[in-house]
Amino acid sequence: MLSPRTVRGLPSVLVTYVFMILVAVTTVGPFVVMLSVSLTQNIRFITFPIDLIPDPITLENFQTLYSKTMALRWLGNSMFVATVSTLGGVITSTMAGYAFARGTFLGKTVLFTLFLGILMMPSTALIVPQFVVLSRLKLVNTYTALIGPWFASIFGTFLMRQQYLSIPRDYDDAATVDGAGLWQTYYKVLLPQLKPAMATLAVLRFMGNWNDFLYPLLVTSKADMRTLTVGLGTVARSGGDAGLDMAGAVTGFLPTFLIFLLGQKYIVQGITLTGLKG
Amino acid sequence: MRAGTTPAVGARTTQGHRTLRYLRHSVAWYPFILVNAVVFAVFNLVPWISMIEISLRDTDLLSRNEFVGLSNYVTLVQDQLLRRALTNTFAYLLMYVPAVLAVSLFVAILVNRKLVGVKLFRAAYFLPNVTSIAVLSLIFRRFLSPRADGPVNYLLGLLGIAPQPFLLSVTQALPSLAGIALWETFGYFMVIWLAGLQGIPSELYDAAYVDGASGWKLHRHVTIPMLRPTAAFIVVISTIGALQVFGSIYIMTGGGPVYATTTVVYHIYQQAFNFGRFGYSSTISIVLFLMILVITFIQGRYLRFGEEVY
Repeated sequence: MLSPRTVRGLPSVLVTYVFMILVAVTTVGPFVVMLSVSLTQNIRFITFPIDLIPDPITLENFQTLYSKTMALRWLGNSMFVATVSTLGGVITSTMAGYAFARGTFLGKTVLFTLFLGILMMPSTALIVPQFVVLSRLKLVNTYTALIGPWFASIFGTFLMRQQYLSIPRDYDDAATVDGAGLWQTYYKVLLPQLKPAMATLAVLRFMGNWNDFLYPLLVTSKADMRTLTVGLGTVARSGGDAGLDMAGAVTGFLPTFLIFLLGQKYIVQGITLTGLKG
Repeated sequence: MRAGTTPAVGARTTQGHRTLRYLRHSVAWYPFILVNAVVFAVFNLVPWISMIEISLRDTDLLSRNEFVGLSNYVTLVQDQLLRRALTNTFAYLLMYVPAVLAVSLFVAILVNRKLVGVKLFRAAYFLPNVTSIAVLSLIFRRFLSPRADGPVNYLLGLLGIAPQPFLLSVTQALPSLAGIALWETFGYFMVIWLAGLQGIPSELYDAAYVDGASGWKLHRHVTIPMLRPTAAFIVVISTIGALQVFGSIYIMTGGGPVYATTTVVYHIYQQAFNFGRFGYSSTISIVLFLMILVITFIQGRYLRFGEEVY
């Protein structure tokens, strides 16, 4: 933090507020318009100036969206895929993190180096070969394909490893003396101390999975297997009216918005801890 | 360990015992990494290897599947559209990276003060970042309408600027997409800047103040030099992000108008999924992979995460 003296040297508080409000209007404004248009009757285009409180307020756009497209099915798919992916990824991360922090086993260094290499390799370049492999395994249009890759988080493994390393080994030793095996030590002694890190990882993974676009687009071609974001992409390309589009946008926006409200602390922690997104 | 002459029989047994015990000990740990290893093999290792194998084939994954040797690589060199895609990708990168670097720093300095409600503002700036690109694209496809009463054109009109075609224009489509990405991600980089800013000791500001620096000069002579590592980190991360842009293009422009927004990733997508050329698509993927690899090596130096690991 700056000291009071230097703060006085900076532009005045008032100017700061004016700028902060201007920037906030650009980031929040479009979402307010989105919500307003989604509740407006028969709206083909978004035109300015706009009445932010529609008259009458109607849920017609949502009714049309949910009856004419498979949006509810997509919402269900996304909920299922994101929840299972998050749980799976968090659990396997705490397990592998434990092995890499405490374990001594054959191949540890090799695996660790391989994992580190993969972490640094953004996967967009891999997307087509991934699809080919999945199609050879007959896994296209399955939940296995949508969820599978999320069951291993390299990032999460490293995050958890760091957490384990910060726990004194005395805990492990005490558990061993009490006759606990590796699993009991992991589950009963160490895991409870990992809760904040697990929450951080869970929030990042859920958001990442929910917002993922390219991968679920490729591994699903049947409409009923799409996730919400991919489904909304097809709605956008089909050229309906603005009300319908914005009802879709609101449907996709609300879940991550709620998690953001509840888990903001964890998101910021996750970023500053590592400088990476899940 | 094996050096020296023939070891005594007793010593060898001990050695063998130790190896055995180590193996038995290892086995207890493997279940902990089993799922990770399997997923890693199926979704990463096998595809990495397949990428090279597929790049030597001409296949649509249905009926056509021929081994064609290096012919895809010949196509690659001659592909005019790939050249266009590379140009577009770098143009996008050059517009987006400097802009996001500057804007996120400006905003971070703005909110790096103990003012009432400042946390709320930070959250507001982060909001686009937690929202799916599909949702953002739905919104901005409408906001960037070429009509004079479209949201952005209306606001430009208030400033006396004539209506613009944005996404429908060959020259404006790519900058529009870069602008949307800037809007989407500056809040994320703001958080990273803030972490950097708060790591600067306040004594440095006091010293500079005593030396007569104030206002913007303080930032020029203290803040900016101290933040060089953060800046490098952000440049690398945002570059890698820009190289992989896809969702906004898929939803808003479909690579057009007239290939104006066809980037490398979109080209890869189209070759495979619109034209059924999975072999050639994998070949381009290798190019993208090499591009990212170079940047990743640079990234290795600035990834704080990596420093902790080693």
